[in-house]
Amino acid sequence: MSEAHSGAHPTPRMYVKLALVLALFTAIEIALFYLEDTIGRGLARFTLIGLSFLKFIAVIGWYMHLRYEKSTLSKFFTGGFILAAALYGVVLGSFALTLAAGG
Amino acid sequence: MTATASRPAATIFRRPAATTGFWSWITTVDHKKIGVMYGYTAFTFFLFGGIEALLIRVQLAGPNGDFLTAAEYNALFTTHAVTMVFLFVMPAAAAFMNYLLPLMIGARDVAFPRMNALSFWIFLMGGLFLYSVIFFSDPQAPLGIADATGTTVAGNLDPSYNTLLGGLPDGGWFLYQPNAGPSYSPGLAIDFAALGLQILGVASLISSVNFIVTIFNMRAQGMRLLRMPVFVWMMLVVAFLLLFSLPIIAIALFMVTFDRSFGTSFFQAASGGDPILWQHLFWLFGHPEVYILILPAMGIVSEVIPVFSRKPLFGYAAIVFAGAGIGFLGFGVWAHHMFASGITPVAQAAFGLATMTIAIPTGIKIFNWLGTMWGGKLRFTTPMLFAVGFVSQFVIGGLSGVTHAIVPSDWQQTDTYWIVGHFHYVLFGGAIFGIFAGLYYWFPKITGRVMNETLGKLHFWIQFIGFNLTFAPMHWLGLQGMVRRTWRYAPEMNMGPWNLAATVGAFIIALAVLIFMVNWIWSRRKGQPSGLDPWDARTIEWTIPNPTPEYNFASNPVVHSLDDFWHLKYSEDDEGRPVRRPDADDLVVRLDHEGRNPTEPIHLPNPSYFPFIMSLGLPMIGYGVIWHTALWGKILIGLGALTTIGGLLGWGMEPLEEPHDDHGHDGHGEPAIAH
Amino acid sequence: MSDSTIEVEVDHHGEHESTGIEHRKLGMWVFLSSEFLFFGALISNYLLYGGRDFDSVVPRDIYDIPFTSFSSFVLLMSSLTMVLSHDALARDDQHQARTWLFATAALGTVFLGGQVFEFTEFIEVYGMTLTTNPASSSFYLLTGFHGVHVAIGVLMLFSLFGISLRRGRLSERQGLNLELVGLYWHFVDIIWIVIFTLVYLLSAS
Repeated sequence: MSEAHSGAHPTPRMYVKLALVLALFTAIEIALFYLEDTIGRGLARFTLIGLSFLKFIAVIGWYMHLRYEKSTLSKFFTGGFILAAALYGVVLGSFALTLAAGG
Repeated sequence: MTATASRPAATIFRRPAATTGFWSWITTVDHKKIGVMYGYTAFTFFLFGGIEALLIRVQLAGPNGDFLTAAEYNALFTTHAVTMVFLFVMPAAAAFMNYLLPLMIGARDVAFPRMNALSFWIFLMGGLFLYSVIFFSDPQAPLGIADATGTTVAGNLDPSYNTLLGGLPDGGWFLYQPNAGPSYSPGLAIDFAALGLQILGVASLISSVNFIVTIFNMRAQGMRLLRMPVFVWMMLVVAFLLLFSLPIIAIALFMVTFDRSFGTSFFQAASGGDPILWQHLFWLFGHPEVYILILPAMGIVSEVIPVFSRKPLFGYAAIVFAGAGIGFLGFGVWAHHMFASGITPVAQAAFGLATMTIAIPTGIKIFNWLGTMWGGKLRFTTPMLFAVGFVSQFVIGGLSGVTHAIVPSDWQQTDTYWIVGHFHYVLFGGAIFGIFAGLYYWFPKITGRVMNETLGKLHFWIQFIGFNLTFAPMHWLGLQGMVRRTWRYAPEMNMGPWNLAATVGAFIIALAVLIFMVNWIWSRRKGQPSGLDPWDARTIEWTIPNPTPEYNFASNPVVHSLDDFWHLKYSEDDEGRPVRRPDADDLVVRLDHEGRNPTEPIHLPNPSYFPFIMSLGLPMIGYGVIWHTALWGKILIGLGALTTIGGLLGWGMEPLEEPHDDHGHDGHGEPAIAH
Repeated sequence: MSDSTIEVEVDHHGEHESTGIEHRKLGMWVFLSSEFLFFGALISNYLLYGGRDFDSVVPRDIYDIPFTSFSSFVLLMSSLTMVLSHDALARDDQHQARTWLFATAALGTVFLGGQVFEFTEFIEVYGMTLTTNPASSSFYLLTGFHGVHVAIGVLMLFSLFGISLRRGRLSERQGLNLELVGLYWHFVDIIWIVIFTLVYLLSAS
């Protein structure tokens, strides 16, 4: 199927380990949700976004196997992601500006 | 070849086998036939859009026109725009892309031939669906939907809508909300527009994936990315623009459909929605769309100008990167369509600046084309005339476009005829002149004949005059204060003379298009036979016989340089001037012979019924959604879904190529084409 | 799928792939990269409208976080079973590949069931329908479109499972199909990872 793997191909054991990590992250996320008042809103939200981003990257990199594929694929994929984040970021930002200006 | 089967695979239908006639077109997966179908369909819609434009111009020929009702006028300018953008220029580009792209990169077909057929059929169904609203233009729309206050809107009560034309989609091609929402545009017209555009979007999304994979994966040996013709490059940029902008409009149109048919209020300010969100989503798609329309034409003239200047394209890499730059920047300027919509000063300044930067790559391209012609040995054939017409008129449209980047100036111009003049210079003077250049230039590839030059030049000059007479005065009218999308103007406004000029110009354009049609029909049968290389061309699509054999290349081509065919025919003398090689004429004769006589059997993908069947499901779902309140509407949605899924299943069970037996063909060099 | 169907493996007349990536795989990645724009619009839509309540019930007031956490966990684990199925097939362990394939489809079905339950509860118990306010509309549109993606994925998974069961094995061509369905499935999962955090956890807190 795919060739040119850089580095070792992940084994089923690695996949399971990764799943455990992902499950752990999800557990932390839920805990953060309930402990938000204790540890502070800002920190909790920052960590939540960070954790979900790590999960996001992990699934793409290992489960979708993107780390081991030709770089063309990651260029397309990250291109789409960055474009989406940038465009919708600007749209939401412009709404925030308008609302802040009392519009 | 590792075909390993003796029994035919079981499918629902016997595999289609016709190579000529009606069914061969319905079932074809040949990129050339699909390209031709795209071309003829697009041209038919071009005539529709043209007739709509003429009706608009008759209404505006003098003050207080009473040729059309206000409702008809709204419907006609909207349908004219939707038709020209989505049903003519985009599919015309798809026609060129389909026919030429595999030939230009040295491939036998696209990466997914059946998906390619699917794109075409979905496009056709989308167009027919959109226009079919004319059969349902009952002013008392049977559907009632609850508006913001909870009362039922029982359809439109304005009797002026009670005409055939008045039932076409109105509200502008951008379907601004809430004007095109349920409260202000009851009736079915906008529903058909939103769902029709949705279906057309599916077609374009499928072809964008197909062509990206084709360009990346199916290049001939030696055809590196930076050896691809500029046309292929521009089409690659277009495919990416489609890929990334269509999902946005898909969601936006879904939201419109939900607002109109299922009672949500995404864009209905009265119940908490935000119309500005529609504008953002629409223009996030709409501005890349502008480059989707113009880049194919830029690609075409980048092929035509070097051939008729007998010089390589000046600054190939610059023009390629400028094209990619336009595509990239094209995503970052959408809000310049919204300067008058109440976005903050920060956003206005940022988008104004970003818009100005687009002038840089565009300017680079203009200088590339001028530099190519500079010092070249120019031959003003019809394709070259259209290409030069493109460059000159596109400059005018581009310059008037830059004025919109300056926010205070934009506030003056927005929604006036200045804008109408500007974008017709870009889209008609640009895109459509480019398309005609391409039609004249590549006509021999389809027919094996060249189009009549006398009629061609007549067509060009009449169209050139008619075009400028129509659209140049619109700039002056706009500065005079004539507002876009107005049905009438008063005599005291003193706008009559220039409007009359524009109307006369529009009819001159119509005459030019008639001459083109006569020329096309005549030349198909009676035109001069073209031979292999009628234009002394540069790129590899001209190394194969005309009309193009079904298998394209008799043997897989190997590419050694940019403008590979040119370098086979010409060397350079000490001062860098091209010198025709002594064996060039023999080479052309040999290529023609070899191209017609493949030495090995060539297997092509088999025709298939399933793309056509799948495409039938989408309009069924569309009608079902529009009449979802009725039982038969729900049934139709189910049937449509079943048709599409059934087609997909049949498709999945049918191999791309039937197993074939390589032994036992007659060995006389007859091409063995598997169907 | 009829028994007389014969697997035809056609080497595409010696055509090469200039990038070295199989056509369909490249096509799937290209398509998925455009899906970011699709879901991005839906998520932004919710982020913009999620707080506009107009004195009626909005999603963030009625989220059942423990329940959704469970659904999210189910979908996350289905990514594991998916990749295990693909890995088993790569080792030509047909039996395991089939088992994990079934597990993935089943987990996907559980997720969908959870969504049906959630929607029903929101509508029946809290009276929050599609048309209650822009917040509820954008919530149902986003999670609904995600659900449609999951449903399409489940259909594809069960079809592959059916083929595998019927023929006793998945051929090399079907192996590529499995890989492609897998890519799609993981993509649907990563979108849910984003939705779970941005739409549920962050907006409810």
